Amino acid sequence: MRGMNVPDERIRCHPSVIVEKSLSATAILALSVAWFGGAVVAAILAAAFVALVLFNYWQWRKTTIRFNETGVVVERDTLFKMKKTLPYSKIASVNITRGIINRVFRTSRLLININSGSSATVPEAVLTFRQDMAERIRSGMGQRLYDQGPAPGEAEAIGSPATFSPMDVIIHGLFSVSTYQTVSGFAFLAYSVYQLLPSAGAGLAADGKALISLLMFFVVLLAPSVSLIFHYYNYRVYRRGDTIYLQHGLIRTYRTSFDVSRINAIRVKRTLAARLMHRSCIEVEVVGLAAGSGESLRPVLCLLKDDATQQRLLRELVPEFVYEADPERQPPGAKSVLLLRAAVASLALTAVMAYPSLWVYRETATMGGLAGSLLPLALPLATALAVLVIFYATSVSYRITGFDAGSDLFTFVNGAVDRETVVMNYDRVQMVRITRGPVARLFGVARGRVYLLSSTGGTSISSGYFSGSRLGVIGETVLERIASGEYDWRKNSI
Amino acid sequence: MPFPGPFDGRSTGNEREMDGYRRLNRKCILSMYIGHALSYLILIAVFALARIYAQEILDPYTEPALYVFMGVLAIVLVYVVVAPPVFYARYRYRITADRIDVRSGVLVLRHILVPIERVHQVEISRGPINSILGLAEVTITTAGGVATLNYLEVEEAERVAELLNSLVGRMLKERIPAIPAQIGSPGD
Repeated sequence: MRGMNVPDERIRCHPSVIVEKSLSATAILALSVAWFGGAVVAAILAAAFVALVLFNYWQWRKTTIRFNETGVVVERDTLFKMKKTLPYSKIASVNITRGIINRVFRTSRLLININSGSSATVPEAVLTFRQDMAERIRSGMGQRLYDQGPAPGEAEAIGSPATFSPMDVIIHGLFSVSTYQTVSGFAFLAYSVYQLLPSAGAGLAADGKALISLLMFFVVLLAPSVSLIFHYYNYRVYRRGDTIYLQHGLIRTYRTSFDVSRINAIRVKRTLAARLMHRSCIEVEVVGLAAGSGESLRPVLCLLKDDATQQRLLRELVPEFVYEADPERQPPGAKSVLLLRAAVASLALTAVMAYPSLWVYRETATMGGLAGSLLPLALPLATALAVLVIFYATSVSYRITGFDAGSDLFTFVNGAVDRETVVMNYDRVQMVRITRGPVARLFGVARGRVYLLSSTGGTSISSGYFSGSRLGVIGETVLERIASGEYDWRKNSI
Repeated sequence: MPFPGPFDGRSTGNEREMDGYRRLNRKCILSMYIGHALSYLILIAVFALARIYAQEILDPYTEPALYVFMGVLAIVLVYVVVAPPVFYARYRYRITADRIDVRSGVLVLRHILVPIERVHQVEISRGPINSILGLAEVTITTAGGVATLNYLEVEEAERVAELLNSLVGRMLKERIPAIPAQIGSPGD
């Protein structure tokens, strides 16, 4: 295997893992010393720290890794013995990440994932090696897994079908978060500004409510956006043979590769802001891509880019998921169900808002000036506006939601504000559920839910309202493909 | 394609078979009533505690809150009484050589289809009430989700599990000649 060590040679991870593992405990111990104080406590905690470092050293020394002809064997010969074998035939992806500690020690973390639903969010093995060695191992495993793979350094020379500028990354970070998140984030910001301005004018200290609201703005919108910008900085995607390669990251860098046959579904997403800018992004549902670091586990094939580039990338990167889809619209019965739902939601909202509206009216009716004429009507007007928005969103949802059943692939189109087109492969469908509520039954429609294995374990994707028999086509096609032999278990088994 | 044997959907004189689907034993109604009654008792206990302690927390809205709680209790009571016979009347399941097909629901009707090819694991489990009544449930795990056959008689649950295991086993056996070739080829 090119670039890999002598077969069956036992190697160890880089010793920096001892520091990496001990670091979080060091922080906790330091905090404990600061909190409790006292020489005795400090001495006990220092002893605990030394014991932890020795334990981590012992574990590092007794853990070996072998890359043999059939798989990777990770063996730990401590009190709690462990031998983990990861056969190459079951490995879905081999990824590399580099955090700050890795940069300090010039190492990389090799994440090995297998096709397991139960542990889809956690890599089966996380191994730290010197950077060049990790690259060599990954390249060698890439050869073994995908029959090809760029050698270290060769990857840079391979052209990407599209370039993503820092501005594209910033736009993706800011506008790929859901519209609900954006609206609530800006509402929190507006409220904090509203609270802060009078206090600033009066020379008062910032109000507590304003700070909480500002914190909510940070948590709901700013932090996710900034995290996305850091995560996807220097974004690069390319395909070589049947393997897709992704590279990105500012502080922590990611190098991910997976076989196209591991993709279960493709999602083309357009948030409201993205639609206004004529941009869209592509996400994929692929098994065994856990980064193990809490970030979004669903890989992105295209950041928010203009629709033409997104379509071109879709055709070039995953032509297996491109087909002439002509999604059918929901039947008239669906409109009745959606309108009834909107009416119930509006009634509930009006009922909930009735008391607060009356209270605000009573409290502000006696106020003079502009405030006196506007504030009493503020909540009833806001409620009326919300009801209008509910009905408008319902009408848009009825217009947009679609379903198409092709011969190899099928598509769900969903969303009123943020829209999503999901193209799925019949051969990856694990289970189909068709649901008919009492109102839907009255109007002769049903909703479908398709269960797939995804990067985060199991996932399900829902359809709009269609006739039960129409949605039943999905399950029947899955079964027909199995019976006719069109479904190849060698390519699709998990 | 119906699977030959007791699950092929053909009438075997068993009144519980209908349109190729099988129905549950009537004991499921009793099991549901007992389960629901226990849950309802817990709800009533919560209500009693709320009446005692809510005064301090909810004041001055204690009374309307308790009325809302009583309304919820009344709705739940209707559901507890009505749901089991409706559930029994609507529950159907069918296992053929290629699929597991379950139709169920009280208010919302569900039709679940699991291709046998996707079955990873079959598990039989029994809670204390079902153990007393001789009932069990079969949980069918796929890579993307779980389907459950509820309130089967124990013998029936074991037959279903055995049948599913044999169907999956047969499918895997058919694939065995191809497996060595797969191991030999890199890139799979």
